[in-house]
Amino acid sequence: MFKWLPGLERRRRRLLRNAPPGPLADYLRTPFPSRKSPVNEVEFLAVDLETTGLDPKQDEILSIGCVPIRHLRITLGGSSSMLLKPEGAIPASSAVVHRIFDDQAAQGMPLTQAIPLLLRQLSGKVLVAHHAPIETEFLRQACRRLYACDVVFPTVDTLVLERRWIDRRQVTLASGGLRLAAIRDRYGLPRYPVHNALSDALATAELLLAQIAYRGGARQVRLKHLLI
Amino acid sequence: MDAEHSEICDFVFAHHPFDRLPKEKWAEVVKSLSLEYQRRGSTVLEPGASNTALHVIRSGAVEIRDAQGAVLAQLGEGDVFGARSLLRGGKVKHSVTMLEDTLLYQLPGEVFSSLCQRYPQFAYYFQAEGGQRLRDALNGNFGPGEANAELATIPITKMLQRAAVMLPSSASIANAAQAMTAQRVSCILVVDNGQLIGILTDRDIRSRGVAVGVSVDQPITSIMTPTPHSIASNVYAFDAMLAMVRHNVHHLPVLDHGRPVGVISATDLMRQRTASPVFLVSDIDKQTDVEGLARVSAQLPKILVSMVDADATAHSTAKIISAIGEALTCRLLDLAQEKLGPPPVPFVWLTAGSLARYEQTAHSDQDNALLLDDAFDPDLHGAYFEQLSRLVCDGLNACGYVYCPGNVMASNTQWRQPLRVWKRYFNEWIGSPEPKALMHVSIFFDLRCLYGAEPLYQQLQLHVTHKTASNHIFLAYMAANALHYHPPLGFFRNLVLVRGGEHDQTLDLKHRGVIPIVDLARVYALSSGSADITTQDRLAAVAGKGELSAQGAEDLRDAFEFISVTRLRHQARRIKSGQIADNFMAPSELSNFEREHLKDAFRVVLTLQAALEQRYQSGRFQ
Repeated sequence: MFKWLPGLERRRRRLLRNAPPGPLADYLRTPFPSRKSPVNEVEFLAVDLETTGLDPKQDEILSIGCVPIRHLRITLGGSSSMLLKPEGAIPASSAVVHRIFDDQAAQGMPLTQAIPLLLRQLSGKVLVAHHAPIETEFLRQACRRLYACDVVFPTVDTLVLERRWIDRRQVTLASGGLRLAAIRDRYGLPRYPVHNALSDALATAELLLAQIAYRGGARQVRLKHLLI
Repeated sequence: MDAEHSEICDFVFAHHPFDRLPKEKWAEVVKSLSLEYQRRGSTVLEPGASNTALHVIRSGAVEIRDAQGAVLAQLGEGDVFGARSLLRGGKVKHSVTMLEDTLLYQLPGEVFSSLCQRYPQFAYYFQAEGGQRLRDALNGNFGPGEANAELATIPITKMLQRAAVMLPSSASIANAAQAMTAQRVSCILVVDNGQLIGILTDRDIRSRGVAVGVSVDQPITSIMTPTPHSIASNVYAFDAMLAMVRHNVHHLPVLDHGRPVGVISATDLMRQRTASPVFLVSDIDKQTDVEGLARVSAQLPKILVSMVDADATAHSTAKIISAIGEALTCRLLDLAQEKLGPPPVPFVWLTAGSLARYEQTAHSDQDNALLLDDAFDPDLHGAYFEQLSRLVCDGLNACGYVYCPGNVMASNTQWRQPLRVWKRYFNEWIGSPEPKALMHVSIFFDLRCLYGAEPLYQQLQLHVTHKTASNHIFLAYMAANALHYHPPLGFFRNLVLVRGGEHDQTLDLKHRGVIPIVDLARVYALSSGSADITTQDRLAAVAGKGELSAQGAEDLRDAFEFISVTRLRHQARRIKSGQIADNFMAPSELSNFEREHLKDAFRVVLTLQAALEQRYQSGRFQ
């Protein structure tokens, strides 16, 4: 744990050596924020993916929503939303969840176009997601496919943060108590009726601000307190 | 790639004044927003600091306090703050502290000013003075209700269906009947040399002619109503209605500089769907006992509803409702005298409080008194007037005007006295005002002769006006009394925020709404020696005269009208749902429009109360 970020930083440099010139190398060239930075000096990007399923090896990314945080403020001008065109058909079981259907997805951009855009936004920032393994594993898989090279992200998982805190206080939660909406509820954050990548990314970004505020804000929280 | 934040759009543009921005502007506004999470207890703005954004509360709540720490406002979801400081260049005057964990949307100051410049309807909301907004609200369509021409704004000439049918006094009853039939009218004017001398209706022909065997060859003067009540041609439909209610007539000749130009009838008013008060008053005059009057009086709530539904102003409605109360009282006095015989000495039936001010809404408590001629001898005449008072007060109670809880009624010996005693009462109230007397003062300084010997009343009135106008100590007491009730600071979610940061569940539209304005108007009127009684008249009379600026008077009149209309609408809703019309309104009943303008109205009153308080405390009140 203690050596994690230097490990991360080491990993970034090693991957940079293997990465082909292009978007991935550009991303890996930018140093990660320091572990010791107070959170108000760190730039975050809340990311949410909608996918055709949960298996990064088989399933595909359908949309990506991003919301940036700077100086502990969300700036909506920097947020973005991308719709992707999958190679295969969208299984009905997943369409029920994300409400993206084939003809709509056909309007989307190919993965080869979306990933560079995302990597550029993530450069120098910390990735934030609720239950981050989905986001990070799908993105790693995409990089391996596109660039034949792995990727690494400094990551904050709002679900992990919440669980850590709950474990420390030994609170028992009802089942589903770690779902994004349930945690937001406890912080007095509004309910968002729509669910899409952008709205969930915004919901995650707001939750992170609330979690930081509850842990003492900029004065007490450093990046290392948040990283996985 | 462009992000469409529907969850933010749905919220921001559903709230005033962002709902005033055109849709094509939405994306740009949303893009400029930043979001911040603040924990309960944290302070985002402090006096002396610089504010750079307009803040919109997305969730949570904040409290605004002045530099002395007094609560000014509490705001919840959808409310905005920071506009005032932006408008004065960013300088923060009040502190803003989170009452709850709060998510704030912030619109940068530059974007705010450019929106204000481009969209006047957006900028309008942030104007410091609410008076103009109130005025616009009153002049424009009052809320989303149907746009019905208001009686007070329809010129009477517009309602005249045709020129008057006129006959000279030499015409016979037969001539009149023929003319009515040929012209298809129900009434003709009797006119000699251009002067109106009488009015004749088809009903007169029936009841005063045919039914009693008068020959149709007789002149119309034998059965006409001589010197009828008439109205001038430059008045409004409402004035015609009020005249019909007051005089219990269904036809009113309209005169242009004394020359008859037409007749306005209750049927004409009916086309405006508001003739019912006229018929109600004629019903009142037909009743021969209290039971009958109580039955008629039970229609009063319906009248109120019909006036509100016709978008009548509060001023018009209250005048009509008061005129009905007046007619009932007069009829009760007539019936009592039929029973008891003529009065042994002249008397005046005094009415006080809201009826005296022509500001009654639904049935209110009765406030009345009896002023007797100084020839009154308790041993000889006491029993008569006691019985008279009891009959009327009991009758009023039966008609829904319940007994005054403070026992300010003619049936109470204390308030059934000859002129000399009344003069002494007023001398005491004015000369040595004390808190207990002040309750009586606020009742008896809104006083009117409702029935009886008018000259007797004028003597009392003269005495009182003379005594009060120059009495500084008394006026200072009255000023203090006028500061007894304060309007709320505003609303916080579905609660009413009152002084000191406390919450009320409901808005008391009487004590926190109309009474503070009535009290202010009374003080202004007394200090300027005005004998006016209605709040609107008092404010008009004192406007620009020392105590109150013309602007202040206008703002206060509009505030009074707005609050009164809100109250009437609330009462009409209650009546329609089968409940008793009361003065307690839940904030959830209010539309956004009403909420915002009520806040403006409260601010007007609070400002003028503060001004009065300052003058009063510094001893400069005169």
